[in-house]
Amino acid sequence: MIRFEQVAKRYPNGHVGLHELSFRVRRGEFLFVTGHSGAGKSTLLRLLLAMERPTSGKLLLAGQDLGQISNAQIPFLRRQIGVVFQNHQLLFDRTVFNNVALPLQILGLSKAEVAKRVDSALERVALSDKAELYPGDLSTGQQQRVGIARAIVHRPALLLADEPTGNLDPRLAAEIMGVFEDINRLGTSVLIASHDLALIARMRHRMLTLQRGRLIGDGEAGQ
Amino acid sequence: MSATRSPKVSERVAPKAAEPAPEQKKRGAHDDDGPDFRTLLHAWLESHRSSLLDSLRRLGKQPIGSFFTCLVMAVALSLPMGLSLLLSNVERLGGSWQRAAQISLYLKLDASSHDGEALREQIKGLPGVAEAEYVSREQALNEFQQQSGLGEALRELPENPLPGVVVVTPAQVDKPALEALRQRLAELPKVEAAQLDLVWVERLAAILKLGDRFVFGLTVLLVSALLLVIGNTIRLHIENRRTEIEVIKLVGGTDSYVRRPFLYMGALYGLGAGVLAWGVLAFGLNWLNDAVIGLSGLYGSDFALAGVPSADGLSLLLGAVLLGYIGAWIAVARHLSELAPR
Repeated sequence: MIRFEQVAKRYPNGHVGLHELSFRVRRGEFLFVTGHSGAGKSTLLRLLLAMERPTSGKLLLAGQDLGQISNAQIPFLRRQIGVVFQNHQLLFDRTVFNNVALPLQILGLSKAEVAKRVDSALERVALSDKAELYPGDLSTGQQQRVGIARAIVHRPALLLADEPTGNLDPRLAAEIMGVFEDINRLGTSVLIASHDLALIARMRHRMLTLQRGRLIGDGEAGQ
Repeated sequence: MSATRSPKVSERVAPKAAEPAPEQKKRGAHDDDGPDFRTLLHAWLESHRSSLLDSLRRLGKQPIGSFFTCLVMAVALSLPMGLSLLLSNVERLGGSWQRAAQISLYLKLDASSHDGEALREQIKGLPGVAEAEYVSREQALNEFQQQSGLGEALRELPENPLPGVVVVTPAQVDKPALEALRQRLAELPKVEAAQLDLVWVERLAAILKLGDRFVFGLTVLLVSALLLVIGNTIRLHIENRRTEIEVIKLVGGTDSYVRRPFLYMGALYGLGAGVLAWGVLAFGLNWLNDAVIGLSGLYGSDFALAGVPSADGLSLLLGAVLLGYIGAWIAVARHLSELAPR
């Protein structure tokens, strides 16, 4: 699904985001990427979303070389990916339904199909009864679940999450992780960047550990 | 309390998770086949429909702001258009004067009334001549006495000093053709002098030419201002929707998808401005017309301003929509690249 081959990212100011990183992620795998602030977690996600390009090395996502991908192809690449942000990135002037429907509207699906899929995604994150509310009416945990619903509504092959539990209390964080596991069981590859080691350790999935842009660990969490 | 009322999210979704993954199968099948033309067309039309409705909704949400933006654009549009319409009215007026441009043939003093009538008949048959009228020496003296107020003094003269005149109205007013006609008429027998006074026509043409240039310059300036107004308005809309644009880009929205509602917005601003400008011009010309009719009546003319012709009005609308669209396009093209997801 994902292949990093000696991928490095250097910024014009001299800062090195990633040092020749190499690893693979299988289709349907659940993976944590952890490390302190500045370890390179966000850089890695940004590379996978084609928000940045690797300076050197080869980065393949579902067979596509993200170093070579044209700007015009990027939106179509992103349609295969769902993204969950720490700050949710919800649109507060749209209802929960319309926030979740956004990726489907971009795909141009019919209203009936959009409604069906949005209902299904909201049901999956247990927010069916909140569809007509606005994000501002919801708690932080519920907002995060709206973000997850939006990330999975178009049935992506890969789900990326950047510190998705960063603002949540431990109980809510565990619930959100449960949702990610459910999504993963349906066949979606899940890659979560998080520094919540205690939470990661409980989940016993593969964990990559980054330190100053280098991969210093690759194994099952909690071992 | 809510925790007791509803099970945990993971518990609630667990039974679903245990089910087979039909959606995964569906996705795979869909990816393999690819969307057909009908689906793509539907997606494209649906995207346009929702962009148009979204733009209308956003404009409707700020009716006063939208109205004033349209009004500013309408003023910028109606100024050059109004001047242009006034100039074409003046040209129309000038044209009617031009048609009255005449060549006066002063006959020799020994030419009799019979000679004058014969000459008039001859001239009337010439190409390029619309009308010819003979004014005898006696008629000329009578008119001069009446118009000059020198009746008594003229009566004291031993003989009529005025020659007979044939007044020739040309078929068309074209300076070289008129000059050629004048020379030809001057060579006719019994003609002492042929006078063509086109100075005032030339002056009017020069003034109109100057006016045209002024209108052109003003149009360029105001169209630039209009593009800036629409560009700035769209830039503000883009800024207000920065987060939305970033999210759209992150979930796979193409640049054209992001651009579309702003282009509709620009076109809608243009349409609103065009309608307003048309209304302003129609009202303004109608308002001026009363004064113009009064003034032209004083000069014995029935001249009146023409309103905004439908073709000009439609051109104004189309131009306004196009300018709004172009202004929006420039603004979006300029700012879209700055809105890469962060």
